[in-house]
Formats: sequence, structure tokens, C-alpha cells
Amino acid sequence: MIVVNTEIIPGMRIIQLKGLVQGNTVRSKHFGRDLAAGLKNIVGGELKGYTELLTEARREAVSRMLAQASQLGANAVLNVRFSTSSVTAGAAEMYAYGTAAVVESETGSPSA
Amino acid sequence: MEALIQIAFVLALLGVGLGAGRIAERNHFASLEKREREIGARFSITDLRTYPGGARAGSVPVLVTGHACISSDYFKSFVAKLRKIIGGELRTYESLMQRARREAVLRMLEQSHALGFDAVCNVRLEGFDLGGAHLRKQGGVISVSVLASGTAYRMGQASGASVARPIGL
Repeated sequence: MIVVNTEIIPGMRIIQLKGLVQGNTVRSKHFGRDLAAGLKNIVGGELKGYTELLTEARREAVSRMLAQASQLGANAVLNVRFSTSSVTAGAAEMYAYGTAAVVESETGSPSA
Repeated sequence: MEALIQIAFVLALLGVGLGAGRIAERNHFASLEKREREIGARFSITDLRTYPGGARAGSVPVLVTGHACISSDYFKSFVAKLRKIIGGELRTYESLMQRARREAVLRMLEQSHALGFDAVCNVRLEGFDLGGAHLRKQGGVISVSVLASGTAYRMGQASGASVARPIGL
């Protein structure tokens, strides 16, 4: 699966558009992370636990989006965007969306 | 007496925040500058959607991302709280935003570098509200989270296009 956040892939052309695909996940911080973050909030610095949380959330959202794309028979997702919303105190939604498409290289052979 | 202890406690926290926060920030900026010099010089970074320089044939572009979540310190939060009474520019938080953004972009570049790419286009930066605005009102954790995303590719060799370097993100 080719995943990019541009509308085109150089050297390839779109043969078929499969429409919008999306994946989301709502994640909450847990108490241990909050405790560490509370202490970090006094001295400053990076909140590694929260960074990890974001990374996990992003991976999950993207993999759900890709699952949808492969279900549609696409081999590429173009113009991927991320968005978040704050659902409730201490929890956030990570949302990934893009356009699923079937692409092939301009020389002819469809690419994986 | 109890009020005195409370004031002393707040002053101690302020001192710790000022000291540790300054050191953390100085070290972070130094590390950012060093890594930006090392890796930024090798990369073409743009937020254009058109693959500047042209992509090399046979190389498939890839979506790359980078996260950073930077915490405020007690001193910064205290100064900001005071400033909010009269309103205006919250300078102590501006450096937080910059650190989170530059860190996120650098991590994205480091990922691209590890994958063997030399250019990133269509860079997007997005801020997050992890603490939750409602939580913040109750004196929750104050932090800044940024997600950087972009498309990494190999630049075409033939074009010899000039390399676009990041200028103080």
C-alpha cells in the first residue's frame, strides 16, 4: 500500500478512485501517565508518555484507514490528513482520512 | 503560620520551575539546533504538494510523521496566569509551541532519513489538545502537542534543483 499526503505520486497514474477512507480512535491517558505528567509540569520538559500515546493513536487510526482501503481493493491512499478533537477531559480523538485509489506506474505495470 | 508555609511552598515550586525549566529549555534548544544543522542540511523540506526537485524514478514516496509533546513548567504557567489577568502576549508559552513544532519536524526528518529519503514535501503541522481545555481550567497539566506529517521521497538526481532548508520553524 502506498500512502502519501500529496495528491499525486510521481511516475504513477491513478486508474480508479475508490473514495474517501477513514480511521479513528479515541484514547485516554491513564493515571500513571497523568502522575508523571503532573510532576513534569513543575520542572518542564517533554511528556514522553503523552508522545507515546499520540504515536499509538496515530498508528491505530492509520491502520484502520488502510484496512478500509484494502477492503475496497485500493493499492494507494492519497492526500492523507490528520485531525483531532477533544472528546472529554483527558481524552482525544485521532482521525486519519485520505482518498483510496488504484494506481499503476506510468510504464504500465500496476505497482504493489 | 499556615499561610506562610503555603507561600513558601509556592515560592519553592516557582524556584524549581524557573531553574529546571530554564535548563530543560536551554538544553532542548541546543539539541534542536544541533540536530537541525546535521539533518536539516541534507534535506529538502517544503510544504508544497508538487514534489519540488522531482522524484527519482522507481522510488515510492512514503507518509512520514513525527510527534512531540512538551510540558510547561511551574514558573511559565505562573507567569502566564498573571499575564492573563491583564491579557496580551503569553511569551512563556510561545517558546513551548516552537519547541514542540521543531521537535516534531525533526523526528519526522529523522524517520525519513532512516528510511533513506532525502526530501520531504507537503509538510503539515497540527496542534493537539491532549490535556483537554476543561481539565486545564481545574489546574490540569499544561502541555503542547504537535503532529508533523509529510511525504518523504528521493529527489531526482538529474534536475540538480536547489535544496530548500528549513528556516527557524
